[in-house]
Amino acid sequence: MNSKPTSGSTLTRFNDQVQDRTSAVISRIHVSHGAGRMVLLVLIAFTFFTALNPSVFLSLLNLQNIALASPEIGIIALAMMLAMLTGGIDLSLVSIANLSAIAMSTLYATVAADNPAMAEELMPVLILVGIAVGLVGGLINGFLISYVGITPILATLGTMQIYNGIAIAWTGGRTLYGSPESLTVIGQATVAGIPVLFVMFVLVAIAIGVVINKTPVGLKIQLQGANPIAARYSGINSHVVLMSTYVVAGLLGGLGGVFFLARNPTASADYGASYVLLVIVIAVLGGTNPNGGFATVSGVVLATLTLQIVSSGFTAIRLSSSEYAIAQGVILIVVMVADQVTWRRRRRRAPTRARVLASRT
Amino acid sequence: MTSPTSTYAQAPVLQVRDIVKTYGGVTALSGVSLDLVAGEVHCLAGENGCGKSTLIKIISGAEKPDSGEIIIDGIAHTAMNPSAAIKSGIQVIYQDFSLFPNLSVAENIVLTAAVAERKRIYSRRVSRPSAKAIVDELGLTLDLDADVVNLSVADKQLTAICRALVHDARIIVMDEPTTALTHTEVERLFALVETLRGRGVALMFVSHKLDEVLAVSQRVTILRSGKHVITSPSSEFDRRSIAKHMTGRDINDARVVSTLAADTPIVLDVEALGLRGAYTDISFALRRGEILGLTGLLGSGRTEIAESLFGASPAEQGTVRVDGEVVSLRSIDNAIAAGIGYVPEDRLSQGLFMEKSIADNMIAGSLDSHRTRWGGLDTGKVRATIQRLFDRLHIKAPNVSAPVRSLSGGNAQRVVLAKWLANKPKILMLNGPTVGVDVGSKEEILDILRGEAAGGMSIIVISDDAPELVASCHRVLVIRQGHLVHTLEAEDITVNTILERMAE
Repeated sequence: MNSKPTSGSTLTRFNDQVQDRTSAVISRIHVSHGAGRMVLLVLIAFTFFTALNPSVFLSLLNLQNIALASPEIGIIALAMMLAMLTGGIDLSLVSIANLSAIAMSTLYATVAADNPAMAEELMPVLILVGIAVGLVGGLINGFLISYVGITPILATLGTMQIYNGIAIAWTGGRTLYGSPESLTVIGQATVAGIPVLFVMFVLVAIAIGVVINKTPVGLKIQLQGANPIAARYSGINSHVVLMSTYVVAGLLGGLGGVFFLARNPTASADYGASYVLLVIVIAVLGGTNPNGGFATVSGVVLATLTLQIVSSGFTAIRLSSSEYAIAQGVILIVVMVADQVTWRRRRRRAPTRARVLASRT
Repeated sequence: MTSPTSTYAQAPVLQVRDIVKTYGGVTALSGVSLDLVAGEVHCLAGENGCGKSTLIKIISGAEKPDSGEIIIDGIAHTAMNPSAAIKSGIQVIYQDFSLFPNLSVAENIVLTAAVAERKRIYSRRVSRPSAKAIVDELGLTLDLDADVVNLSVADKQLTAICRALVHDARIIVMDEPTTALTHTEVERLFALVETLRGRGVALMFVSHKLDEVLAVSQRVTILRSGKHVITSPSSEFDRRSIAKHMTGRDINDARVVSTLAADTPIVLDVEALGLRGAYTDISFALRRGEILGLTGLLGSGRTEIAESLFGASPAEQGTVRVDGEVVSLRSIDNAIAAGIGYVPEDRLSQGLFMEKSIADNMIAGSLDSHRTRWGGLDTGKVRATIQRLFDRLHIKAPNVSAPVRSLSGGNAQRVVLAKWLANKPKILMLNGPTVGVDVGSKEEILDILRGEAAGGMSIIVISDDAPELVASCHRVLVIRQGHLVHTLEAEDITVNTILERMAE
């Protein structure tokens, strides 16, 4: 080694690099254990219901139904995940989605009363209106949370009531019927047997994943959630970060409303009332830390699928929706218990590593 | 090693013998022995991670040793448990004091003893006098009815000591008791320690501050990497020899300061800065490549001045110029835009994202300067910055994706420093840059600062660690009760002058 110091050190450096990369990969797998765990859960749920009632559960119709019901919940769960990533929560998302669907349906019905053909052509505009409703809802949430400084759970509890109240007053509590034919066609279309809505959901999820992990603002969102004080002292502007988070969450809520209407040409103030808590369950199940700082998009997508599989599985074996609610709770608690165990083990390991380092000093 | 019992006629109240403790495959303690004698202060010194905390945990019963024994009053135990330790009169006062902030001083002093005696009903009428008795006996001035949350750190500590005595403590272990105390408060604590010695209490001080180790103790035991290095009367040590035993090498604390040319341009010019309730009429100039010390007791306003310059709590009066241009520092964004960076005082809560990776922590302050044209993160550039700083600051970690929680104090502080160096500020302020950092790392961090200053960065070190100021600063400003009272230069900068001017 002494005779050839250069090649020796190059080799050492190369070795170090290989080791660094390997351990980086390993730790990345460890970090996204939310996703790995969810793959396992999806498989377990799938196998379980296949075993119980293969003829019904494995039918193409049932599988398509799972893929068709997931996007609207999944997209709101992604929005919830974003809010939780900053250490907050957004309870108003489902209300925003309903308000968006109602606005679209009302606008369509008003135009259609005079000119049905024109109303039909209005479809892209309607989608923009739906998303704009989400944008406004998100702006209000973001303003209250980041500039006024209200705790997210209280701010969005308030706006949830407001948005929901507006929806009820607007519709008079009735269910609205009416949506452009073309939107319904999109809602029922499939590409290679996969519903278009599901493909859109996956695309949105990928976009969110890129934003969180590969852009400055995404990293700021994570850091803001991990430690708001340190974020402040690192020059991260919490106003901007929170504002953009809740605006994006609102946009996703508005998009959820578009999905509602595409799947089912009706809109009402009380649609998806059970979704509020369901999306929290999905977000947390998917590995989102409710204290902020940690979340994986793939985990949330897979958690959405798991709960849909369980839901349709329960239908396939003729269990009621209340029994499905129990199952949701059980899954959440079992996964949380497993989480606690692994966290504790990690904590126990952490000081050891510090000691290894210290002893090297 | 000389047998301590030959020097001291009294039998030790507590002995630990050949304690071995391993975590996983790592040895935290390998065969450590130690005696505590009534009426004696025994200092346990060593760098961070040398096994001091593990030894305390074993004595207090929080951890069980793999082998070895703990002998109390001649009775050998293979392990302690917390309640047995308290019953045998062992009290540990941790750094956070474990007090109840919402209860009064009297309640804090008495309550845990009442709980330990399994009293079912707590009576304020009965408990207050017993709290008062202890406080009076020690000759302390403590407001028994004040809520602990409102107390100063020093008073919280006194409360914790009183609480230990209510438990009839015969052995008191204090973990880093002086880290948050000012010069005068340390003296007050040392006076109290003398009183306790007079009462026949055996005290163990755990510390890595060399001066106080020598000032307060009769004997010193030094650990390094889990091994017992030496136990001797403190009169046989000086700063240098303790540091050498702790680190295993010679420590150079000589003054190493570059010379600044007379025409070096002024980078930061502060004029008549004021903030009500914090400081008034502060004016000074900072030159390019200069390291300026800002010192004073805790609460003197030194931290507030720095926080104002960083825009975290903006000043109400005065003007600040950076490179001759007047800048408005109303927010942290303003300060960063003006080229000012700040390593805050409380590393754990203000400086670091503990659960996040080293890489994320290092890049947290400079995300916007690592953009691609499309607004995404330039991963290649990010990786280059991180690797450069990781190597430059000699951060000891398996790789940059390890969570910061797994790092020692010295390495964690380097990560905070790296976050700011990645931002390339013109002016970097560091508040307590080496608090809770071991001696070896401390020297290296100061070297890094010297290097940055030589590269043209202007640095302000806010600290009450006099030796550190002497070792690194061109000039030292002394703040007292919100006023700039002295500016020390050149030969005037010595440990003694700094301490005197601070506490005048």
